[in-house]
Formats: sequence, structure tokens, C-alpha cells
Amino acid sequence: MLTFLIIIPVLIAVLLFVLSTNRAAKILAIVFQSILFVASVYIVIATREADIVTFVGSYDDVLGIILRVNSLSAVFVLLTTFIFLAVSVYSYSYTEKRDTRTFWFLMFLLEASFIGLFLAGDLFNIFVLVEVSTLVTVILTMYDRSKRNIFHGKVFLMANVVVAQFFLIGLGYIYRLTGALDMERVTEALGLIDGSNLALPYVLIMTTVAFKCTLIPFFSWTPKARIYPNAPTVVAAILSGLQAKTALYLFICFQDMFQNIASQEFFLVIGIITGLFGAVMAICQSDIKMILAYHTVSQVGLIIIGISMGSLYSYAGGLYHIVSHAMFKTTLFLSTGIVIHSYGTSDVYKIRGVMKRMPVVGVATAAAVLGITGAPFFIGSISKYFIAYDAPPLLNIVTIVLSLGTIISFVKFSSIFFGHSELVGDIPKAEKCRIIPVFTMGAICLAGGLFGTQFIYHLFRFQVNISIAGYAQKSAIFVISAAAGYLIYQHIVKGNAVLKRLGAVNFSFKSVCASLGVFFAVLLVFIGFF
Amino acid sequence: MDIFSVEYMEIFSIALFFLAYFGIITSKNIIKSIIFIMLMQTAAVMFWLKLGAETSAMPAPPIIYEADLLERAVFIADPLPQALTLTAIIIGFSVIAIIITMLNTLYRHHRTTDWGKLEKLVQ
Repeated sequence: MLTFLIIIPVLIAVLLFVLSTNRAAKILAIVFQSILFVASVYIVIATREADIVTFVGSYDDVLGIILRVNSLSAVFVLLTTFIFLAVSVYSYSYTEKRDTRTFWFLMFLLEASFIGLFLAGDLFNIFVLVEVSTLVTVILTMYDRSKRNIFHGKVFLMANVVVAQFFLIGLGYIYRLTGALDMERVTEALGLIDGSNLALPYVLIMTTVAFKCTLIPFFSWTPKARIYPNAPTVVAAILSGLQAKTALYLFICFQDMFQNIASQEFFLVIGIITGLFGAVMAICQSDIKMILAYHTVSQVGLIIIGISMGSLYSYAGGLYHIVSHAMFKTTLFLSTGIVIHSYGTSDVYKIRGVMKRMPVVGVATAAAVLGITGAPFFIGSISKYFIAYDAPPLLNIVTIVLSLGTIISFVKFSSIFFGHSELVGDIPKAEKCRIIPVFTMGAICLAGGLFGTQFIYHLFRFQVNISIAGYAQKSAIFVISAAAGYLIYQHIVKGNAVLKRLGAVNFSFKSVCASLGVFFAVLLVFIGFF
Repeated sequence: MDIFSVEYMEIFSIALFFLAYFGIITSKNIIKSIIFIMLMQTAAVMFWLKLGAETSAMPAPPIIYEADLLERAVFIADPLPQALTLTAIIIGFSVIAIIITMLNTLYRHHRTTDWGKLEKLVQ
């Protein structure tokens, strides 16, 4: 039954390619997408009791390839289908002159590879599907064939191939140690092996996973490759929303597998540095989409902090932040697409007056911005509250500083809301099919905040509670940080030449690969000595 | 001490892997980087093949049921690494093909395959 979840997107892809870009094809795509979404909701409910397992090809337990859904992967599958549904509705009236058939063919193949990744119960399937999704992603980012995009796409692909070889050799060590590649068996078997023998495979695999998560020092390949000016907005939305999530899913799986290795502090520190660095880089950018992309790096750092902190509340907060980040980032990217089409430029210094020109889109974007900065009653505050729940005071200060960084970069972003601008782009008025998904996701940003604990319970089966005093304290801190952020932006950040140059920092391919070696060595030394 | 026997393949593959990685870091030409990536893939494949050929690893061959054949079938290579390496080789080759196509497009336009020069030209 689970095989259908993977096959249906491929069938949709072929269907769209054959039927070409007329209305029937797109309506069918939206219909099938909704069916997939309903199926994934059903799976989330069904995996509350037990995992669903399918043996591909109806072989026996030991011999076959397994597709497995546990409650964690069910949530990721739900996210995938939901975001793809929103994107399909958004681009119902895609009137771009590019070859739309091929574009949608690739997008649905991408969806199939993501769903396959979350359903795979076998480490080698994960390797194959990671490679497939990387490849399709690269082709999508180079879609407009501009030389700059091709160059960055090439760097992206080459770096990913290098990193995949690390993964392969790590897999080889795991296979030799445990004799199995099935994820459950590997987890059981690795639990019996003492941590000191696992150092090399662990470091090899975590180098790969950290690279794909865009942790420090690997932060620079993704924004440049993903969204340099002309990549289609829906691609940027999918990539920022979902690609990072696949890497985080792998991170969670591998941390579970190698439970005998105590590397929590290492990833905590890495998460903190990533969060700070991402926020600083986001502040320096002048293109709306680049602000959002670097900000994703910062949020991934925050999620890693939540997952590595070690307490139940922060783990739940980290997981919920994955969901909330997907929600508000996709909202922001889609509404940014509408704004860019309306104004004809993506320069944050030139766009003004979004609230007046497109009020509905403006409200939804404002909801997403409030969500992302952690305003009370919005979705971001719940997850940030849980991540910092029982943290030692130093970590509390760090998360407040991270939120401050987020607020400053979004003060910069929200300068597009008010004021007046004469620019008019090629699609001046936002179309209904584009407003609907943006508005829905903006509403979810609000609902996810108001009903945060219920969402966490239904999605992840964690029973967590918010104390009113703590939450009120957090809200007070938010208001103070918002004011501080606004002041800092006006006086320090605006027009700062140093920051402008920092924003153009770019790692070449060789530096990216060299940083791989640095990370590998540092992690190996850390594991070796602790 | 037959240096080309199976026991030394592991050391060779790890050495080749890091040698190729070092080569990638220091190569100025894009085509050299691609060749070093192919070497890394070869090293990973070699490592897996060595895993599959370890003669002490398989306790029982997977498909033989007759007892008389069982005595002769002591040294069986593990089939899983073989399937894996086939998949890895195919993935590797197709990805390299795409990379070379991208390089070809860039070369036709900019007429250089040097990393530094290409980065400057592309900005």
C-alpha cells in the first residue's frame, strides 16, 4: 500500500508530461495531489498505534526491501504532500513561457523521491533516493539555463557527489559491523556495540548529513545554488521548505541509530554557531529571496539545538519547529513570488507598499513574519518556547540572541510593507489561485500558535504543557527584542558597508570540499577524545 | 604477502579515497576535479567489494540446499555488496555525465575550465 504513495506522484508526472499544459492536466494534478494529501493524513492517524510496513515485491521479512512509516516519517510525508498541494494550487495559472510540462514532470518526480526518502526502511534506499532528489533539485534550479545558475548548480552537484562518497564508505563500515542495512536492525545491532568502535562510520556519515543540513561550515552552497535570481519561486519554496527537512530527518534517524556515541554537545555548539551565522548573513543581503534562504540556515541551527539538547521538551520543540518552519518559510517564499511578479524586482530596498497594493497577501505575509520571529500566539513562539524550556541560563541567552538576529533580518524584510513605490512588474494584481495557498498557510501560522500543544500532541504524540507565566515572560522578552531589533536595525545595520561586503561572501568549490575535511577532522577528534 | 590480494584492498581503497579528496581540494582545473571525483567513487566501490569478498563473513551460502554442493561452496561472495556497488556505479556515472554536460555548456559560453576564472566570469 505504501508503494502507491511513491508511485502516484510519478504517475502524475508522466500524466502531466503527456497531456501538456492545458487546464485538464493541471486540474488532474491538483486532484491527485489532494488524494495524496488525504492519504498522508490517514497515515499520520494510523501510525499512532503501530508502524505501517510494506514489503516491496511481497518477499519475506528478511529478504525483501522494506517501506516503513513510523509516526515521525508520517509527519514528514504529511508536510511533503501539503506543501506540494499548496504549490500545485499556486501555479495553476503559471503562464511562464518556459517548457511547463518538463517543469511539472520534474517537480512531481522530486515529490516522489522525497516521499520515498521518508518511507524507506533501508539505508541503501536512502542513499539512492538522496542522490535522486539531489539530481532533480539541481536540474530544477538550473531551469532558466542562465550561466550563473548553471555554474552554481554544478558546484552544488559536485559537492553533493563528493559528500555522497563519504556516506557510501560509512555505510560500508556499518554493513561490516552489523551485517544488515535495514534501519531497525541496524539500530538494534549498533546499540550493542561500544561507542569507540563506531567513531569512523559515525564521523563519515555525520559529515554527509551535516553537509546536507547546511550546518557550519557548509552554509554557503545552498542559498547561492537554490535561488539565485531567476530560479522559479515554487522551486525555492520547495527547496527551502522540504530539502532541509529531508536532511534533518536523516540527522534524527542517524542520531537515533548511533545512540552509543555522545555527540550532543558537539551538535549543540554547531547548532548555535550555525544559527548566529545564518542570522548575520541574512541581515547582510539585499535580495528578498536571499534573506529568506540564509534565514533557513539560521532556523536549521535552532532546530539542531532543540534536538541535541537532550530533554523531552526541547526535542518536541525542535520537531515542532521543523513543521512550523516549513509552514512559514513556504508562505514567505510564495508571497515573495507574488510580490516579485507584482513589482518586477526582488531588491528589498526598492519594494514598498505591499500592504496597500495587495492587502490579503500583505496580511498573510505579515502573519508569517510574526510567526517566524516568534510573536506570541503565532506558531514560531510555541516551538521556540519549548526549545528553551529547561535550558541552562547560558543557552537561554543564546536563543534570545538568535531570535534577535531573526527579528533584525525581518525588520529589514518588512520594510517592503509600508511606503510607496511606482514599480510595476508583469503580473500587477495577485491572482486568486496564488492568494489561496498563501492565505491558508498564513492562517495555519496563526492556528499553529494558538493550538500549539494540540498540534504537538496529534503530530508527535508528545504531551507537553505551556505554563502561562513562562509564556508571558517569553512574550515580554519578544516585545523587548522587537523594539531592540528595530532600533539596532535603524542605527547600526542600515547602510552598513561592512555588512554589505559580508553578504557577498562566497565559498568556491574547493573551499567547500576543504571545509568537509575540516569538519571531518574536528568531529573525529571530538569523538575520539570524549 | 601478495600485495594485490583481497586483504590489502581495504587499505588501498581508503588511501585512494583520501588521495582523491586531497586532489579535489587542490585542483585548479574543473576537469581534474571531475576526474578526482570519479576516483573517489572508485575508492568507495572498491571498499564495498572488499567487504563482499571477505571469506570469513558468510556463515552459509544463501541458496544452495543440497548437502553435497554445500561442502564445495564454502567461499561464497556476499551478494548484497555486489548489488549495491552496481547501483552506486550507475548513479555515479550518470551524475558525472550530467556534471560534464553542465561543464560543456559553461565552456562553450566562457571558453575556460579554470575554477578561478570561471567564478569571476560568472558573476
